[in-house]
Amino acid sequence: MSSRRSRQHSGSTRISDDQIIELVSKLRQLVPEIRSRRSDKVSASKVLQETCNYIRSLHREVNDLSERLAQLLTTIDADSAEAGIIRSLLNQ
Amino acid sequence: MNDCVPDFEIQMEEEEENPIPVSKKASTQNDDIMELLWQNGQVVMQSQNQRPIRKPPREIRSSEPQNYANNQHLFMQEDEMASWLHYPIHQDPPPLDHHNFSADIFYPPPNAALQCSVRADHLRHPPPRPPIPPPSRMHNFVHFSKHANASLSSKVAAAQPTVVDSCDTPVATADRVETARASGGKPAAPGGGRETATCDMTVTSSPGGSSGSAEPDQREAAVDRKRKGREAEESEFQSEDVDFESPEAKKQVRGSTSTKRSRAAEVHNLSERRRRDRINEKMKALQELIPRCNKSDKASMLDEAIEYLKSLQLQVQMMSMGCGMVPMMFPGIQQYMPPMGMGIGMGMGMEMGMGMNRPVMTFPNMLASSTLPAATAAAHLGPRFPMPPFHMPHVAAPDSSRVQAANHSDNTMLNSHGTLDPDQSRIPNFTDPYHQYLQLMQAMNQPNVSKPSTSRGQENPEKHQSDET
Repeated sequence: MSSRRSRQHSGSTRISDDQIIELVSKLRQLVPEIRSRRSDKVSASKVLQETCNYIRSLHREVNDLSERLAQLLTTIDADSAEAGIIRSLLNQ
Repeated sequence: MNDCVPDFEIQMEEEEENPIPVSKKASTQNDDIMELLWQNGQVVMQSQNQRPIRKPPREIRSSEPQNYANNQHLFMQEDEMASWLHYPIHQDPPPLDHHNFSADIFYPPPNAALQCSVRADHLRHPPPRPPIPPPSRMHNFVHFSKHANASLSSKVAAAQPTVVDSCDTPVATADRVETARASGGKPAAPGGGRETATCDMTVTSSPGGSSGSAEPDQREAAVDRKRKGREAEESEFQSEDVDFESPEAKKQVRGSTSTKRSRAAEVHNLSERRRRDRINEKMKALQELIPRCNKSDKASMLDEAIEYLKSLQLQVQMMSMGCGMVPMMFPGIQQYMPPMGMGIGMGMGMEMGMGMNRPVMTFPNMLASSTLPAATAAAHLGPRFPMPPFHMPHVAAPDSSRVQAANHSDNTMLNSHGTLDPDQSRIPNFTDPYHQYLQLMQAMNQPNVSKPSTSRGQENPEKHQSDET
């Protein structure tokens, strides 16, 4: 979905600056922590670092929520609509 | 490293305190076990309990390639015969050897062919050495040193005399010459492996010849040599330093500007490289976090990371909403509803499965009942705002695709969203529900062609809601 710019022919280890800028800007939009910062000062490595941290925190949050949902599932009527929702959420 | 060519630069850099010994062979000498250690391309003779003789790298520099062999300052153990085989071609006075055998010992035999790999080039300024070896050895060394003197290069010759003189003894002088020649011939003959044997032979022969007269003198000479050797070494070092630094100085003087520029460019390249390394490292870490990412292409990997991040965000919203949903059963459930996530969660919920439509519908109903006061106010507005205002911010995201997928369920969604209007006060920037609705519809219409269906679907929720309420 992102437009790919032509890359330098230097192997998979190289990536053009334009690509980095483009993708980094996208990531910046998604990561809330960076969004609040001044965009012109954020470096690519910083964005990548924040993205990694954000993904890890999201993972943790998903795990926590899954636990909570599992607990809630036990407290409610298994046939209720909410149970169905919770189950679908947990099965993602 | 090249055996045959002295690596001056390497020697210069390698002033290790302890040579990295790769034992080439162990030769058993008369009394001690000498080891041939491989140091930086040179074999250094070293007694097991003694440190190798080191020679300042600079010494080698001055010597000619063929003389490199002579630069080997072996660490000679007293009984080590082979040590005198490898003499630095004179150069400088006994290198770092403060050992019993002064550097003189290591003066190379005239025969440049002697490719004693032993080299003490990188030997550093050695600390004080143990007492001198038997005089017989010294005798030989003296000879060699003298011999080496003759073949010294100009530079070395300057230093040499110092050493040579120091060990010069009236009696031994003549002997030296003879022995040097004799020993010179021998070392040349054998290869590296036979050096030891040769040394032995030579050594044994020489003592017999001149031990009587030369011993006492040799002892003194050895001591002197040691002392002078040290001095010579220092002077050698200094001279070496000077030589070494001169080229740099010249460079500095000549091209100060160009040097600065080149250095700046180098610095820039280095920093650029470091930056790239940092980025690559972070990308690798990111790739590990993304499940089932088999892309080696950085750009596609980043794309996938972006998608994964979005899906993770949605998932978290959904789950948080789901968690909040259960407590919704109770009054005062408003507080459990995440202001922003609610609408989106609902939208996403639609995508999760068709089966969720009904459950989702009940949810908003409960909300409506629990939030009667607010609902009442917004009841008449509810039907008109099927789309929650908080969909706005995410319209830019691929919500359109999601909406398409959930078109059929839009009715429910709109209905549910409509009841959430009272909560929209928590949503930023939305003061007028009607305006919010308009904005939302506008946004929805733009990216999604199927918007008309959604707008049509809004009619149903109205009826739905009225029916259910």
